[in-house]
Amino acid sequence: MTQTASAAKKTASTKAKAGTGVKQTSGPKKARTKKKQGQAFPFTAIVGQEEMKLSLILNIIDPRIGGVLVMGHRGTGKSTTVRALAEVLPSIERVKDDVYNRKVDQFIEMEKTTKGGKSLKPEDLTIEDIPVPVVDLPLGATEDRVCGTIDIEQALTSGVKAFEPGLLAQANRGFLYIDEVNLLDDHLVDVLLDVAASGRNVVEREGISIRHPARFVLVGSGNPEEGELRPQLLDRFGLHARIITITDVERRVEIVRRRREFDDDPQAFLKKWAKEQKKLQGQILDAQKLLPQITMNDDVLTDIARLCMQLGIDGHRGELTITRTAHAFAAFKGDKEVTMDHVREISGLALRHRLRKDPLETLDPGEKIERELAKVLGEAEEV
Amino acid sequence: MIAFTDIVGMDLAKQALMLLAIDPSLGGVVIPAAVGSGKSTLARAFSDILPENTPFVELPLNVTEDRLIGGVDLEATLVKGERVVQHGVLSKANEGVLYVDSLSLLDSSAVSHVMDAMSRGEVLVEREGLSEVHPSKFMLVGTYDPSDGEVRMGLLDRVGLIVPFTTQNDYRARRQILQCNIGDKDAEDTRDELRMLRGLIDAARELLPQVSMTKEQMQGLIQSALSLGVEGNRVDIFVIRAALASAALAQRTDVDEEDMKLAVKLVLVPRATRMPEPEQEEVQEEMPPEEEMPPEEPEGEDEESPADTPDSDAEEEQEETPDMIEELMMEAVETELPDNIMNISLASKKKSKSGSRGEALNNRRGRFVRSQPGEVRSGKVALIPTLISAAPWQDSRREERKRKTGRASKTALIINKEDVKVKKFRDKSGTLFIFMVDASGSMALNRMRQAKGAVAHLLQNAYVHRDQVALISFRGREAQLLLPPSQSVDRAKRELDVLPTGGGTPLASAMYLAWETAKQARTKGISQIMFVLITDGRGNIGLQASMDKDAPKASKDEIENEITGLAASVNADGIASIVIDTQMNYLSRGEAPKLAEKLGGRYFYLPNAKAEQIAEAAMSG
Repeated sequence: MTQTASAAKKTASTKAKAGTGVKQTSGPKKARTKKKQGQAFPFTAIVGQEEMKLSLILNIIDPRIGGVLVMGHRGTGKSTTVRALAEVLPSIERVKDDVYNRKVDQFIEMEKTTKGGKSLKPEDLTIEDIPVPVVDLPLGATEDRVCGTIDIEQALTSGVKAFEPGLLAQANRGFLYIDEVNLLDDHLVDVLLDVAASGRNVVEREGISIRHPARFVLVGSGNPEEGELRPQLLDRFGLHARIITITDVERRVEIVRRRREFDDDPQAFLKKWAKEQKKLQGQILDAQKLLPQITMNDDVLTDIARLCMQLGIDGHRGELTITRTAHAFAAFKGDKEVTMDHVREISGLALRHRLRKDPLETLDPGEKIERELAKVLGEAEEV
Repeated sequence: MIAFTDIVGMDLAKQALMLLAIDPSLGGVVIPAAVGSGKSTLARAFSDILPENTPFVELPLNVTEDRLIGGVDLEATLVKGERVVQHGVLSKANEGVLYVDSLSLLDSSAVSHVMDAMSRGEVLVEREGLSEVHPSKFMLVGTYDPSDGEVRMGLLDRVGLIVPFTTQNDYRARRQILQCNIGDKDAEDTRDELRMLRGLIDAARELLPQVSMTKEQMQGLIQSALSLGVEGNRVDIFVIRAALASAALAQRTDVDEEDMKLAVKLVLVPRATRMPEPEQEEVQEEMPPEEEMPPEEPEGEDEESPADTPDSDAEEEQEETPDMIEELMMEAVETELPDNIMNISLASKKKSKSGSRGEALNNRRGRFVRSQPGEVRSGKVALIPTLISAAPWQDSRREERKRKTGRASKTALIINKEDVKVKKFRDKSGTLFIFMVDASGSMALNRMRQAKGAVAHLLQNAYVHRDQVALISFRGREAQLLLPPSQSVDRAKRELDVLPTGGGTPLASAMYLAWETAKQARTKGISQIMFVLITDGRGNIGLQASMDKDAPKASKDEIENEITGLAASVNADGIASIVIDTQMNYLSRGEAPKLAEKLGGRYFYLPNAKAEQIAEAAMSG
């Protein structure tokens, strides 16, 4: 996640308003708020729903893809899959106990601006490896917990205004997951849009003024029949995976069997799947290493641009996302060059939600993309 | 309090509760029943058959978010000088029962939290500087009267057992039986009966891990779910668990036909979206049962879970194929249940509201804009700003108090009245647009197209205003609610695709239906409602005729009177209206403007209206 450091360097600064000794809490506080989550069902044991699984994996390989929106029927394993994600994520380096999960250079840069020019050296800092954070944003979260707020205990005991970072800080360089994202309160959506666009969280309220880096892969899930997503938020998601009820009886029997096996003895089940989990993790790591070496021919780029144009997609986020996703997909497959075959596999994911929404259109967006893609490719072959 | 065993009738509901007591992972029981059927009495008696000291927490309908999820206990926090956490209702119900009476009236944000807790088994408290996880594994028991509206499908999806709704015609009789029965019995009998039942359930719970079903039975149940068009894969687990629990209750370790029938009745039928198709066999042949396992299975592992598919069983019961089981189940669905079951469950799905947001009336939620000085009792205390304003004065106040009282203050924090800040909320509240589209006569197709376009247009902007749209079409004998109040473009699309046109004009029926829909929306907190009536003529079918096809034909005057009466009621209820007249023939105009006048609404003459124009008229109206 190299992009986080450079962007945050430019923007991140922590300033204190005159006279109100604002400081940040760190270290011990973290331990208190640490959560114990229940055992998650293993990612690799989830039957079917390949679209969703692939989207998540591609986002691990390249977080710049911009997250996934998973929409589909009730009871099809949306949240199970996302919550299973944590177990296959690689780890990241951060300054020990840093509440913002910052890397060394980022930490030094930020602290320099706060502590009045006192510069830290990398040698002064301890580094630790932590698993990529997956932060759950529940629907009932209040804005102060999401953005961070004053530390009440410090305010009570010593009358000092101290900043206690929120979920956005915890999610920096990791994943932020919102189940039932289409039911999220408007004001939280506003906050998310703001932060997702700028990559930093600015808290200016109740006498506190703080800014800190908050770059995360946004993962949302929901059932489209419960309500629509705000178009601006929809556009923020890099990929859009759709999931449906599995109708094959054999596979459904398998789902039930695995679920019951897991419920009966989670430990044994996890052990049984440990090998698969390791394998996938290895695959992801390999893909991450391969990613910078992957090349893409200009012809492919032209075809992508034409596809987006013919589909009438506004802006350039479509092209950008499809290109990045195709790179990550090639890396996942172990291929060094992106071809239109790769593009074909992921174009639905990257573009489905960017087509102009016409409620009277009966053609499925996926089919429409496929059709236009065939046209683009057909022409390409003639030339 | 009336004991579980003393309640007469409601047999299916009782069975459902017993299955839940045996296997709490069934998630819950929802009991739809009419007023006076004794549903709440039964639900409250559920404790009787649970192990002692199982928590039984009732969720009040007016619960606030912080009471539901938990948060900072202000009083204790101020006294102790450190954060004191107050557990919410969801956490208090952990390892026990969460009971909601009138489940369909629970507001949508509370429903979302209950759903979230059920899928996680815990509550995430991320509020007011607090970040905690409280365990929250509970059985949800909900009762409601379907005439109050429906329960959100997303919530029902997490509840295993839904008791089929039967109209309780004989509720008075039942109440009599109940009363007689209690009179006859003495307390000791009741106690013995209860003890016996509890023993039975304890034994079943113990036996449950040993109960198994054949693979064919499992497939049969899953095929039944498919035939009935049940959405999602979660139900499979519920239907299988229900059958296993039923076998355990009968002290058997294998599942028989009756167990499966009960499971289908309680799990699948209430979620059915279609009747089983008659040409099932052909469909089955097209999909030969494949024996291949999904590719995700790890290699070299023993993939058979002994409890699920003992091979020996499968061989012994060779004659019982999944198809046969499914057929048996479908027969049970068709023959054993009362005739009206299928209709009601299908209808209730249609009626179910989606995406409702009842924020409009609640002034304690929505966006917390800022804090302002105020009385503690007048609103929600904004804790943090209050503390901030108090913090700087602590030293001086402590000294002052010491000077006055002669001893040091014990409280960690001295807060004066002027420190108190209360939260100021701003809330967005949407409008429900109810479209009534005249689908009768020759120009119906054109009007339908306009209406669809307008609905689409409004929905495109729905997120911004939190608006919802409902659509009623009227033709032939009666009006039909095509799209219940919704914000979902997907859903609107699906419902609007096929629409029949032509026939009579049951305008009164449409207005009545719209009025009913409006009243239901009001109970869920949507206060602004607008009727958009798109028509070119007058109603010619009376309300009587819409409800009863044998009713004598109403006269012109009677119909006119009905419409006038309805229009006045709508107007009196403060529902705004616009009437869009699409009559091409200029000369025969006159009915629509009159109607607009009666409704106290605005009138537009747009014979060739474009969808956008209609949408704009509705927005401006």
